[in-house]
Amino acid sequence: MKLIKKNTSAGAEQVARSGFPSMFYTAMDRRTFLRRSGLTAGAAAVGAALPPTMMRRANAAEKNTREAGVAAEIKRSVCTHCSVGCGVVAEVQNGVWTGQEPDFDSPFNLGAHCAKGASLREHGIGEKRIKYPMKLEGGRWKRMSWDDAINEIGDQFMKIREESGPDSVWWCGSSKSNNEGSYLQRKFVAFWGTNNIDHQARICHSTTVAGVANTWGYGAMTNSYNDMHNAKCMFFIGSNAAEAHPVSMQHILRAKENGAKMIVADPRFTRTAAHADQHISFRAGTDVPLIWGMLWHIFENGWEDREYVNQRVYGLDKVREEVAHWTPARVEDVTGVPEAQVYEAAKTMAEHRPGTIVWCMGGTQHHVGNNNTRAYCILQLALGNIGVSGGGANIFRGHDNVQGATDVGPNSHTLPGYYGLAEGAWRHWCRVWDVDFDYIKSRFDDGQYDAGGGNMAHPMNIVGIPVSRWIDGILEDPSNLSQRDNTRAVFFQGHAVNSQTRGPDMKEAVEKLDLVVISDPYPTHLAVMSERTDGVYLLPTCTQFEQRGSATASNRSLQWREQVIDPLFESKTDAQILYRLAQKFGFEDQMFKNISIEGDDMPNPEDTLREINRGTWTIGYTGQSPERLKLHLENKHTFDTTTLRAVGGPCDGDYYGLPWPCWGTPEMNHPGTHVLYDPSQPVKDGGLTFRARFGVEREGESLLANGSFSEGSELRDGYPEFTFATLRQLGWHVDLTREELEACARVAGVDSSDLPRNIRTASTEVLEKLDGVNWKTDLSGGIQRVVIAHGCAPFGNAKARCEVWQFPDPIPVHREPLYTPRYDLVAEYPTYEDVKASYRLPTRYASVQSEDYSRDFPLIFTSGRLVEYEGGGEETRSNPWLAELQQEMFVEIHPADANDRQIADGQDVWLDGPEGGSIRVKAMVTERVPRGTVWTPFHFGGHYQGEDLLDRYPEGTAPYVRGEACNTATTYGYDRVTQMQETKSTLCEIRAA
Amino acid sequence: MVSVFGSRLAKMAALGLLVFTLTGCYESASDVTLYEPGVYKGSDDPLLNQAGSAEREDALRERFGGQRDR
Amino acid sequence: MARMKFLCDAERCIECNACVTACKNENEVPWGVNRRRVVTINDGVPGEKSISVACMHCTDAPCAAVCPVDCFYTTDDGIVLHDKDLCIGCGYCFYACPFGAPQYPQQEAFGVRGKMDKCTFCAGGPTANNSNDEYAKYGANRVAEGKLPACAEMCSTKALLAGDGDMVADIFRERTLRRSGRPQTWGWEQAYGAGV
Repeated sequence: MKLIKKNTSAGAEQVARSGFPSMFYTAMDRRTFLRRSGLTAGAAAVGAALPPTMMRRANAAEKNTREAGVAAEIKRSVCTHCSVGCGVVAEVQNGVWTGQEPDFDSPFNLGAHCAKGASLREHGIGEKRIKYPMKLEGGRWKRMSWDDAINEIGDQFMKIREESGPDSVWWCGSSKSNNEGSYLQRKFVAFWGTNNIDHQARICHSTTVAGVANTWGYGAMTNSYNDMHNAKCMFFIGSNAAEAHPVSMQHILRAKENGAKMIVADPRFTRTAAHADQHISFRAGTDVPLIWGMLWHIFENGWEDREYVNQRVYGLDKVREEVAHWTPARVEDVTGVPEAQVYEAAKTMAEHRPGTIVWCMGGTQHHVGNNNTRAYCILQLALGNIGVSGGGANIFRGHDNVQGATDVGPNSHTLPGYYGLAEGAWRHWCRVWDVDFDYIKSRFDDGQYDAGGGNMAHPMNIVGIPVSRWIDGILEDPSNLSQRDNTRAVFFQGHAVNSQTRGPDMKEAVEKLDLVVISDPYPTHLAVMSERTDGVYLLPTCTQFEQRGSATASNRSLQWREQVIDPLFESKTDAQILYRLAQKFGFEDQMFKNISIEGDDMPNPEDTLREINRGTWTIGYTGQSPERLKLHLENKHTFDTTTLRAVGGPCDGDYYGLPWPCWGTPEMNHPGTHVLYDPSQPVKDGGLTFRARFGVEREGESLLANGSFSEGSELRDGYPEFTFATLRQLGWHVDLTREELEACARVAGVDSSDLPRNIRTASTEVLEKLDGVNWKTDLSGGIQRVVIAHGCAPFGNAKARCEVWQFPDPIPVHREPLYTPRYDLVAEYPTYEDVKASYRLPTRYASVQSEDYSRDFPLIFTSGRLVEYEGGGEETRSNPWLAELQQEMFVEIHPADANDRQIADGQDVWLDGPEGGSIRVKAMVTERVPRGTVWTPFHFGGHYQGEDLLDRYPEGTAPYVRGEACNTATTYGYDRVTQMQETKSTLCEIRAA
Repeated sequence: MVSVFGSRLAKMAALGLLVFTLTGCYESASDVTLYEPGVYKGSDDPLLNQAGSAEREDALRERFGGQRDR
Repeated sequence: MARMKFLCDAERCIECNACVTACKNENEVPWGVNRRRVVTINDGVPGEKSISVACMHCTDAPCAAVCPVDCFYTTDDGIVLHDKDLCIGCGYCFYACPFGAPQYPQQEAFGVRGKMDKCTFCAGGPTANNSNDEYAKYGANRVAEGKLPACAEMCSTKALLAGDGDMVADIFRERTLRRSGRPQTWGWEQAYGAGV
């Protein structure tokens, strides 16, 4: 029989093109089909797509499809999703991103990606992105030019500034901005005159940073993902690494193959738990009782590391007192975990050391989050697991640069580098910025407000409104605010809103604002979730692939990103937009004094990083110059994948990414610090001690290390942090070079002409002034250099402390969540008293917990991540390759709870929260969740209380997949120390829709 | 009434006609599509080029190293 | 001669779907067509395991055996490919395949079946290597460039392996040996109790 070739059917393609808005041709035919045919639930969509043979080949550049015979340029970057920091190799043809290759050389991912990393090329297509500046006028989105947008926004902001003060604009920066972008976000608002800026870290690991930093000095991951190869035991609590940090599982499973035991504590049987040896399902919000329950067994059996505790830990005995209360029976009552399981976990941790603990949002997102994080630290201190390879507190951070943004970026409670907001901190940064302190101070509102506990302070020194509470800045009675007036405008650069709680309140707040400005690659839930018809601006912002710069992974390593493609459409980078606004407000010359501008408006990233290097001495962001980072980029393959150390090659001896602290100037060539607090190595090789941050002595007991010191240390015991005075006492000040002395002199306010040739002969007056300069304020890095040359750590050598006396709960205790299903326990474990002013806002605790909601809302409502999506989800749900994999918002409900409510799998249900928010979602009946707990992902947006907000999106920008934001139904509750939101343990009820 | 000429002519004609008709039975191999089950009938794939395959095998073997735990 | 094989190590697979999106990305596979997908058994309960499945490139391929137009062929290293120009979209290979590898992109909403599409082991199809025509019809031809399938090269945990079957088996054997030091992996402690 003869076979005849079929012709390509022309009809299909015509159908595709008709009706397609041709404002700008970037879409591909199959996507058009997608739009027209819609999506079906659950199983593979019947969305029509052109079969490959029937594709008409059009210009490759327009279609982002690779072109044969055209040379591809290789650009190397870092994934923009989570904090593992997977290397990305992009193939670019004629400026179009047409291919991705595995970055085998990267010691972090060894070529691997998760679904999000493997689909990054879609960032170069960006069909659903905001293409040009737009504003909402009369319910319609109107295109505008950049100049008009900046002018209109700027004029309105200036008006608000005049009428209500600079604090009335609330700025939101981003954990997705690179170091340079996020640093400029923080610097920008200083010049604008407010501390009202924040970012995702607040609602992610703020309780970690506060809890951990207050325990032993720095609040970051102590070891690394790679170092986990050396662990003998891995304890995960509130961490679903398989979905939140998939590539970290490569290292975790390698550790498992090396013999490590794996314990997962999570109310839910997560995908991570599926790989674990032990799964402990405990009631959401009862972390402290569980950990204290484990410590009960550890103390009972004498498994703690006495020598370690004696040398390096303060206050464990006070913990013993609290832990004695948590007998197995009590632990079982409160957490639901039987004694045998708790005992086994404790025994496993004790018998398999070094062991590491990993925690994420499950532990941090509670109103007692800072108690949880400290309890985790104390467990590890008791076991002697901190400061050893294979041990540590391996905190898996969230977004790709949340670590960097927390370190040097837009935090409401501190200037870059955790310097804080006291006058000394401002003077330091003004020196770095080369601007007059009084000039900066004059930019702020000149008032005195309650900084907490009735202490009045200048707005410059009061922590700003955090992102978890931005809506309250708008809604709260202004007389209750610690600033002049309400928030009247918000500027969101790179932050979603559907990740914050209390959706209905948020809607009300957004509708009250004078204007809303969204600077993002995508419109985000904020653009559509309210019924505003005017005053919303969308500014197309670049992704991390349209710019170059550095980002800091969770393990504190910095990586340099090359620019992959030019900005798509009319997008501008975060920094460009800030520059434009700085111009509008008239302070661009001051702000960018030492940062050159490329083209019209792009602040040079290398200059920006160098400025960060010049100022961030506290955490050692000083050695990671652009040059050194680029050298690492060129030589990734020379780094060992377990030790992260370069073996030979141009980076020989460095740790990959120069994990901070990378002490001293770049010239000093410190290799970075892979494992924190490890005294077995000299400080100059990356070893460290616990930071002396909390004083020298308390209640008669020394807070300094007792007989524990770094390898090669000239001081063979504990010592406080180094100032010029300490150097002088030890006679080491003579090691400072002339240049370094002059720099110290400048900081101290000493004229260099008063500095003699030989410092020993300096006058007492001069010396006493110099004495005040310390390892954090010395801009030359000389003090750090000299201290390290003598084998010591610049920040001292102290004990880690189990008691944080400045916190409301000096020893961590259990407090029931504000919305708890066990109201009977509230009497014994109540929450805090209401607070009049915390982060500028009244914050309620007892008044929320005073009512029992558990009868009407009996189910524990918790939420978490899906591997396919990230954060607020607008970006990933706009990627068809990812969106196809998770097409519906859903709630996981146990079969028993489902049957109690006559709910079948796949049925539409309403999830009602106790504060009035309700969401309509699909029920997924599964035993993954325990009875009495329901779980939703938090990545969805674009629906509101049952309504699809598709029509509110600008044409062509609605993500492929939209759904209810789970936070529409979540509730009030904020950490007492950091204002972290209590999302992981609230209540709800579910009913058939 | 068959003339000698007619009968010879008729015979020749009949023979000719027969031969002519029989030419219709001619089959050339290239004319006919014989269906051979299981034999691939599509276009050639340059990937099957024997000359390059040893080199490619080596390249693929080396490339595989990327999938090992390093 | 090397024989190309896939192997998905279920002990390492975390259902991250990187393999699925890597394939989509590399081959521009349209919505609705899944050359590769992850299958999970015992979802949500102890014993949950996932495995990534695409075309298995069978030695004695059922798809090839049943195709009425014989559009399939196997390369010397065992990769099963097909000619889309010949394919009539009858769907019989889909019946025959035990793994559901053949997929049919549809033209309209109501099931008009187009040309069969399936995993090519990133080896393209019967047309000039790495040409625009090959990319449009079959996706990438990584093998011609001396590279291995994108799905395996990007697997987050190196669960999915693709390459010369002997080398793949080597890696898996090594892992099995390591894991034998951990009886928990094989459920011994569950079966026999701790300490055995």
